[in-house]
Parts: sequence; C-alpha cells; structure tokens
Amino acid sequence: MAFEGFPPLIADQLHYLLNHSPDSIKMENVWSGNKLNPKILDRFTLVIPYCLDTIKWDVIYNSEYAMAPPDFIFGPDDEGFMPCSSATAPHDGQTSLLSEWNNQDATLLLVLIQGLRDQYVAYQQKRVGQVDDDRVKFEISTVLTRKGIEMQMISGGDKPEEVKFAVPLLIDMGINKLVVECPWKHEQKIYLQVIYPILRKYESAPSAPRLRLVSSSDLKALFSVEDVKLPPWMNGMCLAEYLPHLEETLERQILEAVSAIASRRGFVEALAHFLGRPLEADPTFCRKASFLGASGPFTFVVHFFFPAQFPKQQPTLMLQSCQHLNQSSVPVKSNLFTKYPWSPRWEVGRMAERLCDFLTDEAVNFKKYCNEALLQY
Amino acid sequence: MDDISLERIEISGPTLASLIQRVSSSPADVDGLIFGQIHRIVSTNLSDDSPAESSASSSSSDQIVATVTSFICSGKTVSFYDLLGRVDSRRVDSLRVASPDRLLGWFSSRRKTANRPSMRELAVASSLSSQFHIPIEDSENPRSTNMASCVFFLLTTPSTEQLIHTHEYRAYQFRSSNQRLEPRSLGIVNIGPAFRGHYGSFSPKSGFPSLICELNSSAMNEDRDEGSLSAKKQAMKDQKEMDALADGLQVENLKRLVGAEAANYTGGIEEMYERMLAKVESLASEVEKSSARVLELVQSLLQSKNSSIQVLIIIIGSGDTDLQESIDEASPVFLFFGSRLFPS
Repeated sequence: MAFEGFPPLIADQLHYLLNHSPDSIKMENVWSGNKLNPKILDRFTLVIPYCLDTIKWDVIYNSEYAMAPPDFIFGPDDEGFMPCSSATAPHDGQTSLLSEWNNQDATLLLVLIQGLRDQYVAYQQKRVGQVDDDRVKFEISTVLTRKGIEMQMISGGDKPEEVKFAVPLLIDMGINKLVVECPWKHEQKIYLQVIYPILRKYESAPSAPRLRLVSSSDLKALFSVEDVKLPPWMNGMCLAEYLPHLEETLERQILEAVSAIASRRGFVEALAHFLGRPLEADPTFCRKASFLGASGPFTFVVHFFFPAQFPKQQPTLMLQSCQHLNQSSVPVKSNLFTKYPWSPRWEVGRMAERLCDFLTDEAVNFKKYCNEALLQY
Repeated sequence: MDDISLERIEISGPTLASLIQRVSSSPADVDGLIFGQIHRIVSTNLSDDSPAESSASSSSSDQIVATVTSFICSGKTVSFYDLLGRVDSRRVDSLRVASPDRLLGWFSSRRKTANRPSMRELAVASSLSSQFHIPIEDSENPRSTNMASCVFFLLTTPSTEQLIHTHEYRAYQFRSSNQRLEPRSLGIVNIGPAFRGHYGSFSPKSGFPSLICELNSSAMNEDRDEGSLSAKKQAMKDQKEMDALADGLQVENLKRLVGAEAANYTGGIEEMYERMLAKVESLASEVEKSSARVLELVQSLLQSKNSSIQVLIIIIGSGDTDLQESIDEASPVFLFFGSRLFPS
C-alpha cells in the first residue's frame, strides 16, 4: 500500500499499524488538513473489526505538528464513548501514552488503537448491560466468564433494538497447530454470532435469538462453517447451555476436516499411478490438483477440485485442451463434471481406477467438443 | 453549580464571518477562545383569550441565551490545553490577554473532518467548563448566578468533494451532568427590522484591540530567517542586559498600559524609571571616582619604578556585571614587562 503523501513520521506509524495489527485493520478515505499544500495527507479513516462487524474511527493528525499524537472522532452512534475524559478514566495506559507521545516510535499508533479498542469493548458491554431485558441480563451474567466475548448494541432508526454477541468458540483448540505446514499468519478463529431481539413491552415470551457461525476467511481452505448444521435452539434455552454442545460438534467436525486432508493426499497419490505425476497440486490442504492426460495424440489437462467433505463428496473435474485455443486465445475448457461413478466406500485405488476409466471415455467426447468449438469460427 | 441548559447560542453576523475568515485563512487546524455574555430572557406570552385562560397561557418562560461577542484565535492547535485535553488556566490567561469580555467557551477548526466533536475536544470542553465560569446577567433579578464556560463551536470543511458548501459550523453546549456535548441552535443576529428585538440585549462596545506583544510566539515569525547563530547569541545577550536594567520588568507587562488597569500601572512604570535614573547617576559618580584612582595609581607607579618599565594595564570587565565590580576585579591585574627581560 502506498503511503505517499503522509509525512514520514505518520507514514511509519500507519505502516506498522496496518501490517502488525492482529485484527487486520484497514484504512480508507485519506484527507489533507493542510491549506497551503493539500498533497500532504494527515487524516484518514480506520476500519476496525469489532464484534464480527466493523467500526470506523477517524484519525486526525496535524501535518503542521506531526510530532503530536492524533485525535480521534468515533462513530456517530458512539457519543457516550469518552476514553479520554477525566471523569471515566483518570490515569491509565491511554492517558500516559498520549501525554508522553514519542513520535519516533512507530508502534505507538497500534498500541493506542488497541488500547482504545479495549476500552470500546468495555463501553459496549456497559451499554448492553444497561438494556432493560431480563434475558440479556441473564445471558451476560452467565456467559461473561468466557474469554474474548464482544457485544454490541444495535439501535438504528426504525429497526427494533437488538443486542449482538460475538462468542469465540474453541479458543483452546489451536486450529493452526492441527494443520501440517500451516500457511496461516494469524490464528484461525470461529465465532458464534448471537442476535437477541430486545423484548418490547407488549410481547410476553422472548423469541429465539438468531444464530450464525462466522470464521476467519482463511479457514475455508480447511473447513467451511457454512456446512455446519447448528443444533436447534430449544425454547427457554440459554447460551451457557447451548455452547458446550455446539463446541463438541464443531471440534469433531474440524478434526474430521483435518483427517480429510490425508485422505485427499492419498487419493492424489493413487491418481499418480494412472496419470503420472501431477502438474500442480496444493500441498497443504490438497484441495486442487492438475494432471496431464492423453488420448492417442490428443493431450489435455485434468483439473481436480476437492470438496472439504471428500471422500463423502466426489471431486469436481474439468478438462482443458492443450491443442485447441478459442477466439480469444484461451484454451478450450469443458464444463464441470460433478456426476460420474463414485462411491465413498471404495478404497482410494479403486476410486482412482474408476475415475480414469471415466476419463478415458470422456476424453473422446471432449476432443469432439473441442473440434466442434473450433469449427464454429 | 447547576447544570443549566442553554436555549440557544447567538452570534452576530460580522463576528461569525470574521471567525470563519480567520480559520479558513490559517494554514492548518486552529483553536481559540470565545467571549461573550449569558443572559436570562424572560419572555411573556400575551394572549387575547379570556383572563381565566390567560393565566395559564401567558406564563412567562425563562430562557438562558449565550451571546458570542468576540473571539481570539490561537493560530495553532493544543494552544491552551495539553494533549489529553486538560486546560491550563495560565495559558488561557496568556491567550486572552486584556480581553475585557468574559470567557464563554472555545472553538476548534479542522479541515476535511466529520462535524462531530473529537475525543480531545470533548475532554477540553469538559475541563474548560469545570475551571471557568461566567455570570448569568439578569435584568430583573440582579442576584447573579454563575454557569460554566461551556460553549463550543466546531468549524469544519466537508470531507467529500461533491458537496457545494465549503464550510460547516455547529454550536454545542457541554453538559456536566451527562458529560456530553449537546448541539444547540445557533442564531445569527444581523442588522435589520427582523432583528430589532435581538439588539435590545446587545450591549454595544468597542474595546481596545488586544495588544499582543509576545516575543516570538507567532507562527508567522518562525519562518523568518533569524540570521546566523552568533547573531542570535548576541541578540540573546543584549536581551539579557536589557532585562537586568529593566529591573525584572517584562516586555509583556507593557501591554498592561492599555486597558482597565492602566491608571495604577503607569505610576509603577514612572517609579521604575526614577529608580533607574538614580542608579545611572550613582554609577556615573562611581566611575568618576575610580578613574581618578586609576590615574593616581599609574602616576605613582611611573614615579616609583624604573622609567624603562612599561606598564600595561588591562581592565577585565564583562558587559553584564556592574561597572564598579569590574574595576575592583581589574585593579590587581597589572602586568609588568621589564625591558631587562626583552633587551632591545
């Protein structure tokens, strides 16, 4: 990312913040507060992940006084968030950080933002705690012992008020450690998002909360939380009751997903007996592999896309010709093959053998298809 | 102190115009102080209804209205408070100098930002209103009560380019009860028939322009080439001598010559000049006496010693010590060069 336009001292701090923050903070909208030289940038908006959503904070440096710490404008709904006010926080880390600002230390902006975010967590928790709803009060009292829980008040315009919880699941599991040669920089996390509608006066019984599993984006390569079927929420249930069962299910499924890597690898190795060494293969998660195939003089590439539930679900195939280019000089490709003879109960050698039989037949069709595609032009 | 809510904040058109001009001509973000008055306005609603009803409908309502009369722009940010937003009352006093008006609050101007108070601005408003107070002027009830200097003006420029307007301003009142800055409507008072009522509460004044003679505080001076380091040193030395002569009187104090306390202050200045004159006179007589002594000494030396001895008298004196002292110090430093040592 370009930091041109920022004075060097500010650019250093910003660079460190964007590269080292554990929550992947992003920057958007940069501005200049300088009248004489509007190319000198000194203010920007940070998009900070919070409670499975984002909050936007404006950070205002002053290019004329680049030595001074920045000022902040928080979101329009967070009027009550006053981290710098003498009334709420007399003397803590934030205040000493601001009053003894060392502009040479590039890490300080990150430290400051993290400190403010921690205070924001406490502020939102206080707001949610003030909600006049017995169920929410009960949930807070029982679930707060869990580490890293974040909550948020949602009250905007005409919509009814809601309280959102983001509960981190399986914190102690360490998903990164389960994967051999793990390529992930950050620890992968799974959260349960719980949204409680606030009970209005005329309603008698609380309705079930809306539940959703959310994971960090890299986790998709191993395991997709969308495939998890959430256990049903019984009437009168509470979160402390619900979570252990959900975590148990999730843990089992993640372990299955990890063992699925090995079965995919075994299958790719078995294919190598029939198709030769793969041209390309995903070594960590084995979700993709490409082989070179030949049918007489016709050569083609077979792409395999493995689902996370392999071998329960069969891989998707695509053929790509090495000899036919279409109008825009792109190799001719087949449609995706998802239906062909397959049984998850076969052993891998049998699977590979049956698949190659299918390929032998399909190669002829594909060659015909390629020739026809060329004739059209 | 009660946390009284302001009904509205009023500012005269020219004051607002000059405020906007001042902040928009500054190179970067600025802040400053706002002066004015707070009035209690009792408005009676007369009605044409029957007397029985009128007792209810013509109830008089009290309105507390703040009126901005002038402002001082500091030319920078973080001028009278620290980075945490804690107001330093001494810095406020040095910024407001001899302004005859009462401190009503402060303003902050920043370009290309959202027009919401920032974290530091909230802290400053909180700190300022806890330290400074302003009486509520009430014509019917002279027993005056105070309220905090709680007015805050925020001047911004829009951050998106598409908008047509170039300036945004908002007025806020800091409420100590909930520690928030609450937006208040800003009434702009202009000359004209529609505003005759407003001018009733205006007390006309044309105070002296505030005379700011800080030595090197203005941002404008910083760019000026101050010359070489030695020239600076010389200037500092000269300044030091001047200060010693002035008997502790600071240049800044001269601005007290203008304004309310001028009458008693001129007496003080005159007295100081008289003291300085007496000092100069005694110094002159001392110099006269000591130079006579030096002459005496030299003559006696010349008579007593061999005539071939050359006498070199060096008087070591430094500019900033008293002349009398320097002569006393210098007297033993007579250097003798014997012609016997250097045969010619």
